[in-house]
Amino acid sequence: MTAELNKKAKASLGKFTRRQVMELDTCAHCALCTENCPAYNESKDPLHAPGVRSAMAVKLYDKKYNFLTKLFGKTEITEKDVEELSESAYHCTLCGRCMESCPFGFQTHELWSRIREIVADLGGTPINVARLGKMLDENMNPYGLDPDERLDWVDYTDLHEIPEEEQAEVAYFVGCTTAFKGANHDVAFSIASILNEVKEDWTVLGEDEWCCGNPSLISGDEHTAMEYALHNVEALESRGVKKVITGCAGCYRVFRFEYPKLLGREPKFEILHAVEYLRDVLVSGRLKVEPTDEKVIYHDPCELSRLGGVIEAPREALKYLTKEPLEFDENGIDVRCCGGGGLLQAVNNEMRLDIVTRRLTEAKEKGADILVSACPACKLAFTDGVRERGIEIEVLDLLELAAKRLGVL
Amino acid sequence: MVWKVIALNSLLAAIYAFSVEKLPYITLVVTFIGVALRVMRWRSSPPDHEKIRMDPVESVKYVLLDVVLFRKTWRTDKAMWLALFLFHGSVAGIVFGHMRGFHIWSIHMFEAFGHAFAEFMVHTLPIYVGYVFIVTQVYFLVRRVMLENKQLTSMPNDYIALVLLLLKSIAGQGMRLVPPEGVPATLYNVVFIPRFVVLHLETIPNSHWFHIHIILTQLFIMYVPFSKFIHIITGVIAPAIYGSRRKEIDR
Repeated sequence: MTAELNKKAKASLGKFTRRQVMELDTCAHCALCTENCPAYNESKDPLHAPGVRSAMAVKLYDKKYNFLTKLFGKTEITEKDVEELSESAYHCTLCGRCMESCPFGFQTHELWSRIREIVADLGGTPINVARLGKMLDENMNPYGLDPDERLDWVDYTDLHEIPEEEQAEVAYFVGCTTAFKGANHDVAFSIASILNEVKEDWTVLGEDEWCCGNPSLISGDEHTAMEYALHNVEALESRGVKKVITGCAGCYRVFRFEYPKLLGREPKFEILHAVEYLRDVLVSGRLKVEPTDEKVIYHDPCELSRLGGVIEAPREALKYLTKEPLEFDENGIDVRCCGGGGLLQAVNNEMRLDIVTRRLTEAKEKGADILVSACPACKLAFTDGVRERGIEIEVLDLLELAAKRLGVL
Repeated sequence: MVWKVIALNSLLAAIYAFSVEKLPYITLVVTFIGVALRVMRWRSSPPDHEKIRMDPVESVKYVLLDVVLFRKTWRTDKAMWLALFLFHGSVAGIVFGHMRGFHIWSIHMFEAFGHAFAEFMVHTLPIYVGYVFIVTQVYFLVRRVMLENKQLTSMPNDYIALVLLLLKSIAGQGMRLVPPEGVPATLYNVVFIPRFVVLHLETIPNSHWFHIHIILTQLFIMYVPFSKFIHIITGVIAPAIYGSRRKEIDR
């Protein structure tokens, strides 16, 4: 058993790229990232600190690839080592804040994903995350629901029908967390309503839409992610789509930054997050709304801001939607994660709720009436936090706020 | 008793001679091998999926922001930023100061601003810089010990490197504070590698402090490629890659 594990470990640890090995070798375990880590801040467990994760990874790597360790140290990797690495890797929201605190600028979100891949190779993936992989295999979505339920949100809203065209200029890529989670159905409805209001030539993929591949990527299954990327890009390109709009920060990041890497080419369409589209139609005057008097605070989704580069667009859009936009102290590229990312919910939901409570409390302290975000995972985390921790604040997606101001929601 | 003193003195003399005549060559070879091993370790790993295209403008920008100004540390921890800034500033000052001994520059460079200023720059300021260097290292060491097993887990080389650097710094500062053994009529030359590495000193320093300093310094140099001090090199490469590659950042 141990011999087999060690054989696998050697091959798997060899997946660290040369840049990542250099980063692991350079990490001085200075702990400057630790105070900014949302997971560590809640648990205070050293195993959850980013620098400790890096130390664990380099120790395991050295056991197989450092000649001095081979000569003088212990080279055996045990199941306990894998368990600890898994515990560390999955108590992380993959928000990338450690990257923005690292004096050397190590691209830690990629490093932690690689560690999850190694954990998967060594059979250490937490059971709930492994289950998610099975559901993806069977249904092309991480919720285990039938693909024909992908458009059920239409039935639950006032939208009687939506276009499923053979050819269209614009495609709305709904995303699994929006399509299958009831709390987000109004987000899909809002985006669809705005596209109709602007009279866009648009379509959805319907059952032909597969998961974007983000859950596979962040649980270390690059092969499946590549399969999904191929399918989605082919489905969109075959419809002659020029512009893809998604309301999901995770889908957006994967389409924009991971698909070119996975496919080895740029897709033949432009990818926009719905907030960028909203900003464009508001600024150009194609969509006209009356701003609310309520105080609205915007939470940057990590995958959209720090990892996606979309920071100004939602703020510009918000100026048209409220007379009183508010900001968190930690915002933009330095945003504190809401806890909704990195599959943390599948591993430690209490920690996720602790993280989101901190953010909700700050929103209340700032005097906000409405907390808006631009990511279905953030919205789920916030609504769960409001329900479970009894914090009274209205939670909306930015597109929902726009639809409300438009009078359609 | 007397023979014991004679034996000890002979041993010290042999060690001191070794540290000047032989150790520099060993240092050179070990450091070279260490760097080569590191590079081989990185080269033997697979490359990134996508080819990293270095962007010179962004690379320089992020090296300046993150390595020279410690922008990210400023955002995270102001006390640590101050310590890092003072530490690295004193490193730069000390390295620059040593260059005078190797005849890369001379006191005349500062004479244009007056003799008193030149004297201050080459004799007084280095003592204060030495204290800053030591104090910041003690801060790093104490901080590491305090955070150990709470926010970080160190590897042995994290401590070995810090302790080695601290000891060599104390020896270097000691050399400045202990009275010299003499003032030669001309410069006192210490030949490490003939024609290439020759130190020219105005005074003959206290032999013990001087030799402890040069032995520890050479051990430190040899240890660099095997320790986190490899960041002397990679600490510039990583932010350059970050700047070239982080296309996600709003610019």
